[in-house]
Amino acid sequence: MALGGGYFKTTYASDLALVDTRLRRTALAALLVALLLLPRFTSSFVLDLVTQTALAAIGALALNLLTGLAGQVSLGHAGFIAAGAFTTAVLVEHRMPSPLLALPAAALVGAGLGVVVGVPALRLKGLYLALGTLALHHVVLYACGEFQNHWGANTGVSIPPPRLGAWVLKGTTAWYYTLAAVAGLVLILSVNLQRSRAGRAWMAIRDREIAAESVGIDVARYKVLAFVWSSALTSLAGALFAFQRAFVSVEAFGFFLAIEYIAMVIIGGLGSALGAVLGAAFVTLLPYGIDAAVGALRVPGGAEYYLFPLKFGAFGLLMAAFLIFEPQGLVGVWRRVRNWVFLWPLRYRPLRSTS
Amino acid sequence: MRRLALTGLAMLLVVASAATPALAQYRIGMSAAITGPASSTYAPTYEAYKAYFKRINDAGGINGQKVEIAYEDDRGEPQRAAANAKKLAEGSILMVNASTSATYKPFMTESEAEKIPLLFGGGVCPREAFPPASPLIFCSTSFGSKWDSRFALGFIKEQAGGKKVKVGFAAQDIPLSRIELEFAEQLAKEMGLEAIPVVVVPGNTPDFTPFAQKLKDAGADWVLSWALWHVEVGVFEALQRIGWQGNYLLYGHQQTQDELGRLKAGNLYAFGGNTLFLENLPIHAEINNVKGQTTHPAHYMAEGWVSAMVLEASLRKCGWPCPKDKLATAMAGVSVDTRGLRGGPIEWTADNHYRKSTYYKVYRWDPTKNGIASVGGWTRLEIK
Amino acid sequence: MTQALATTVVVASLYALLAAGYVLVYRSTRVLNLAQGDMMTLGGYFLFLLASAAPGQPALSVATAAALSALAGYFIYRLLMRPMAGHPIFAAVLVTITLGILLRAAIVLVYTDRIRHPLPLLGLANPPRRLPGGAVVSTFDLLTVGVTAALFVALFAFLRLSPLGIQMRAAGEKALLAAQRGINFQLLFALSWALAGFAGALAGILYANNVRLDPSLGVLGLKAFAVALVGGLDSLGGVIPGALLVAAVEVLSVRYGDPLLADVSPFLCLLAMLLVRPWGLFGTKEELERV
Repeated sequence: MALGGGYFKTTYASDLALVDTRLRRTALAALLVALLLLPRFTSSFVLDLVTQTALAAIGALALNLLTGLAGQVSLGHAGFIAAGAFTTAVLVEHRMPSPLLALPAAALVGAGLGVVVGVPALRLKGLYLALGTLALHHVVLYACGEFQNHWGANTGVSIPPPRLGAWVLKGTTAWYYTLAAVAGLVLILSVNLQRSRAGRAWMAIRDREIAAESVGIDVARYKVLAFVWSSALTSLAGALFAFQRAFVSVEAFGFFLAIEYIAMVIIGGLGSALGAVLGAAFVTLLPYGIDAAVGALRVPGGAEYYLFPLKFGAFGLLMAAFLIFEPQGLVGVWRRVRNWVFLWPLRYRPLRSTS
Repeated sequence: MRRLALTGLAMLLVVASAATPALAQYRIGMSAAITGPASSTYAPTYEAYKAYFKRINDAGGINGQKVEIAYEDDRGEPQRAAANAKKLAEGSILMVNASTSATYKPFMTESEAEKIPLLFGGGVCPREAFPPASPLIFCSTSFGSKWDSRFALGFIKEQAGGKKVKVGFAAQDIPLSRIELEFAEQLAKEMGLEAIPVVVVPGNTPDFTPFAQKLKDAGADWVLSWALWHVEVGVFEALQRIGWQGNYLLYGHQQTQDELGRLKAGNLYAFGGNTLFLENLPIHAEINNVKGQTTHPAHYMAEGWVSAMVLEASLRKCGWPCPKDKLATAMAGVSVDTRGLRGGPIEWTADNHYRKSTYYKVYRWDPTKNGIASVGGWTRLEIK
Repeated sequence: MTQALATTVVVASLYALLAAGYVLVYRSTRVLNLAQGDMMTLGGYFLFLLASAAPGQPALSVATAAALSALAGYFIYRLLMRPMAGHPIFAAVLVTITLGILLRAAIVLVYTDRIRHPLPLLGLANPPRRLPGGAVVSTFDLLTVGVTAALFVALFAFLRLSPLGIQMRAAGEKALLAAQRGINFQLLFALSWALAGFAGALAGILYANNVRLDPSLGVLGLKAFAVALVGGLDSLGGVIPGALLVAAVEVLSVRYGDPLLADVSPFLCLLAMLLVRPWGLFGTKEELERV
């Protein structure tokens, strides 16, 4: 994106680079340093919040791939997360709790489920696709519920902390580093997918499917590929979810979880990886923000009773507000702010010459 | 400008004064279903605790120390309970769970990991509280697995008066309810009653009629239900709607007094461990006095009040200072007089963290008296 | 066995009431109102509000509750759905989901999660009634069937015979052409939302009196949208066979299969329909391109 002047690339390497300008490189380095040093300066509560955001971001990035990039509306996201979490639970029940086995297994199960969902989804578009994925979500949850009822005599499966050899992943700081690293990797993967051939094909399909087909893109293959990539990553997020919470129970994966992820992607900005991350942060931190606001206002007695509906209602209100007033989401806001900062005291970008 | 600065300073002082560090005190963590579908059963326990310990703290605390209880809402969902367990385990000498059985596992795992005693104050008593008891698990709740069924089937047999009766079972699709009623089905056969296979009802079903139909078609004379109140009563109401003429025995939760009065059905029997407030004992008047502090009516508070009494007795016995291991040992020998709220005292031993004897009473709506009446007196079962 | 048939008809009428709301809104605005279940709950709580404020007056309370719900439907259209006019359809559907969240949050804020029973407050009773053939249903079960039948007859008459109804159908088919003919389609869209609110309120009032009232009744709406889809999203006539089909599958799976499957069976029907005939039994074949 050019602001004022143009950055002209002279080598293929520089064109392919993810971080191309010196400003961006400095900013990225500063961000990495800040993330590395975060545990030193913040309480474990804040660290836990960042960890939760990172985990949510993985799921949001996966959904953004499917809905934002490829334009395939999916309301069944929670089902894929449940699939990943329950794969881990099944392995734990069979005394194979190693993450080295559980994570790839979850990704494979997710990919398989993606094929199962993606192939019939070829027949549907738009609203019907969304409803079909919603129905499938209920079916997946039913299967998970049956597993929980018949295999675990108690409700839910306790997941022991993951161990790699002698090292056990326990404690807020360790989880923070792990999940932040995984989220970073998924972010890079997501951005690269966007720039790749598959990404371009997806965007073409999203924008005008018939045109994409007439240009020679194999629409069926790429649609199924979108489902596979998205659900594999989502199930991976589900497995991480299971390990981090140390407990898996089917109630946690209701329709509202899918709505939360849709909200993350929409509030963040559809089609943008940064948007997915911003949206994940927003939706994860919103309940705590309301907690803080209600606490600061010192409302007299009985706050516990209306804290939950307040959070619930505020979430709905903000989602509706973003849908109506800010369709481009937080990324749109970010871009406007960034442009304003860079262009100040001017207001508009200078005209580029046509020659 | 000056006014703004002054208001800012005032707010800062208010915030700062609120953030003064707490003095040394008994630190307890409680997770309850304060909101959510199960809240009418478990939120009263939370309110009872708040009112009870406010009274104690206002009077100077226990052993000279205040009791500080951190409350978390888990809405009856296991995922939230898992997060609460982690949060509450830090710095607490005891954790209290007043929520659905789905929330038990994460709490027991956390209690085991951090060696913190865990008191179940609202939900059904888990197996680990019965002999041989786990050292850290305690339960004050009036209802418990297996013993409830033993009493219930004994009551049905007694009411049948020697006739051979068919007993149906209505369970909710949560493991504890299913397992309990499957046990009851087995026990019924051993006791010489004719048992119909358990009918399992999903908790959020809109229409209980098909399940009631199954029970009616099977020819049940008595139906025993042991689940969350709305399922127990939902099946009963559906049975009434389709014209079933048998008798229904369910476990009476906090809503019993109100609901028996609403339904006015002579064939509905509610059994439980808590005395209904209509018996107007002195302890009931005492609980009525804290009415202003609770959103639920006073007669919902019995379960939570007993639990709070047990906790108070445990803390008194522990003394001060009271680290968590000393508390666990103290609790393993505590004996509490429930002053009429239950049929007898709650006595814990090293091996038995439920109670030495448990007491049951049955209530029903009596059409002849146009009021709720008890059916017989207290029945005592010894826990071995 | 006639009891299974009776139960099927009763369950089907409740689903049909809710699905009518879906179809009314979809036909005019092409938006799937996923908050229909929560609008039903809202209607039930309006009734509870009125019954608590003025007990013992069933006719007045029911009429006022239904009117309030219709008004709520109108305001929902004006404030929430009309600003979404230019946006993609999926965004509008998401807004209805957030509407559901808002409604539910508001209800819980005011009334908490406690189960409520308006029936005694209205001074009515719900005794069982024996039908010829041996089946037994409750009074309100019969009322539900009756009200559903009456509503559908009224809707058919309105849409086919009255000028306003014909205009509504026209606006639903091609809003632009209708506008050029001078039809105020914004008003008609608002009217369709008000009717959806009214139908939802009827469902909510009947259910609250028959079974119970609590904030989580909205899940019935999700099951009912499966009915609407099976029948055809823009076909009022398709709602009845769709409802009967889905209700039959649900009741039979409780009797002869796994009761927990009963929860999922509407969605299985939906999936089957989507794979075989996405536009439903009687819907119009919209531009559904195959890949």
